Amino acid sequence: MPTEKEDEMKKNKHGWRGDAGSIDFVQIIVGLIVVGAACIGTFQALEFGNNQLNSQMRYRKAISIARSHVEYWQGRIHTDTPNINEMQGNLGQNVGQARNAYMLDERDPLTETDDIWCDVRYGTITPVPNVELGVDKRGNPLTSHFVIRVYVTWMEPNSSEYQPNKSEVVFQGSMVPASF
Amino acid sequence: MKVHAGRCGRDEGWTLIEATISVVIMAIMVLGLTIVLLAFREQLDRSWAIRVMDQYGNDVMEDLTHDLRNATEVTVRPSTGKTSRVDIKYLDPIRHELLLTSRYRADLRNVRIEKDGRALDPLFPPRNLGQGESYEIVQFTLTPYGEDTPNNQERVDSFRRNAKFMSASWDIRFKLRYNRKATINDGDRDWSVTKEYFNRVYVRNMNLIVQKGITD
Repeated sequence: MPTEKEDEMKKNKHGWRGDAGSIDFVQIIVGLIVVGAACIGTFQALEFGNNQLNSQMRYRKAISIARSHVEYWQGRIHTDTPNINEMQGNLGQNVGQARNAYMLDERDPLTETDDIWCDVRYGTITPVPNVELGVDKRGNPLTSHFVIRVYVTWMEPNSSEYQPNKSEVVFQGSMVPASF
Repeated sequence: MKVHAGRCGRDEGWTLIEATISVVIMAIMVLGLTIVLLAFREQLDRSWAIRVMDQYGNDVMEDLTHDLRNATEVTVRPSTGKTSRVDIKYLDPIRHELLLTSRYRADLRNVRIEKDGRALDPLFPPRNLGQGESYEIVQFTLTPYGEDTPNNQERVDSFRRNAKFMSASWDIRFKLRYNRKATINDGDRDWSVTKEYFNRVYVRNMNLIVQKGITD
């Protein structure tokens, strides 16, 4: 036979919980809201991770494009010397005059509106003198090698006119002419 | 003993309306979650496949570029489809008087690039491809600078370059395509993505007199 004290404890327990031990409507709704919020957070994290991977992919391709351009100028210096205008580079030129844009990331293959293009330019091809090699007829130290710098720039997908998100890769190489 | 009548003076338990609304809300949430999960799963599968393809493409390019940089002679012959057979001769790094040859070719049937008769990467294409998934090699070519380029400026520029430069400047183009047939329902379209991997290499040793002892 339960004592009066045990009855009192049960009443307090039921009074605090307000039910016979089962879940009620409000608790279900609150639980669903919590689960929904957790799912939204998880999907956002997955999307962020995916975007970061895509960004790294673009970065890798930009390096490849930059290296290809450095190879071109290394070849030119080696066997087909650039003229004075070409040695100045094209950093300051307008987009239309500079070397063409290159496709960096096609993204959705079904449309062209979201394609990301990069702009490739190169800086002044700089001769690096070395006094140990001697001097020329005018007394200037001879050149030991030439330094080439290529710049690849592009706008990330989340860029806007007011919040541009520009990325850049700079690739540097050097070369000596074959005649050296 | 007093019997506690339940909160707010009502009987304990669920009303019909509460139960119905709960079930409806849960059904809508589960349905939404399922749709989102399926779409996300599809997106993740595509993303994974593209990254596998990307890794392979970059590996092939790095390997071929490395060999070309040390080459003394390059021979290119046309092969099946839009592919080339590339033979690269280079000095043995240990015995400088010995010339070694690396041979690259594209195996279109097995979708892989072979170097000296062996797959460059035995793990590509992946063996656990799903139903309707496939890879294919669209292009694997080695062409002189400016010959096969979508860039008109480069094509025009190539006519101005001298023979020494043109004989040593090569463009490597490797195109891979990933195909995915619609499997969710008939309304979905087949999906495919083609990625091009490109490198330009200047073969320095072709314009140098490489003799025994020059690297000693």
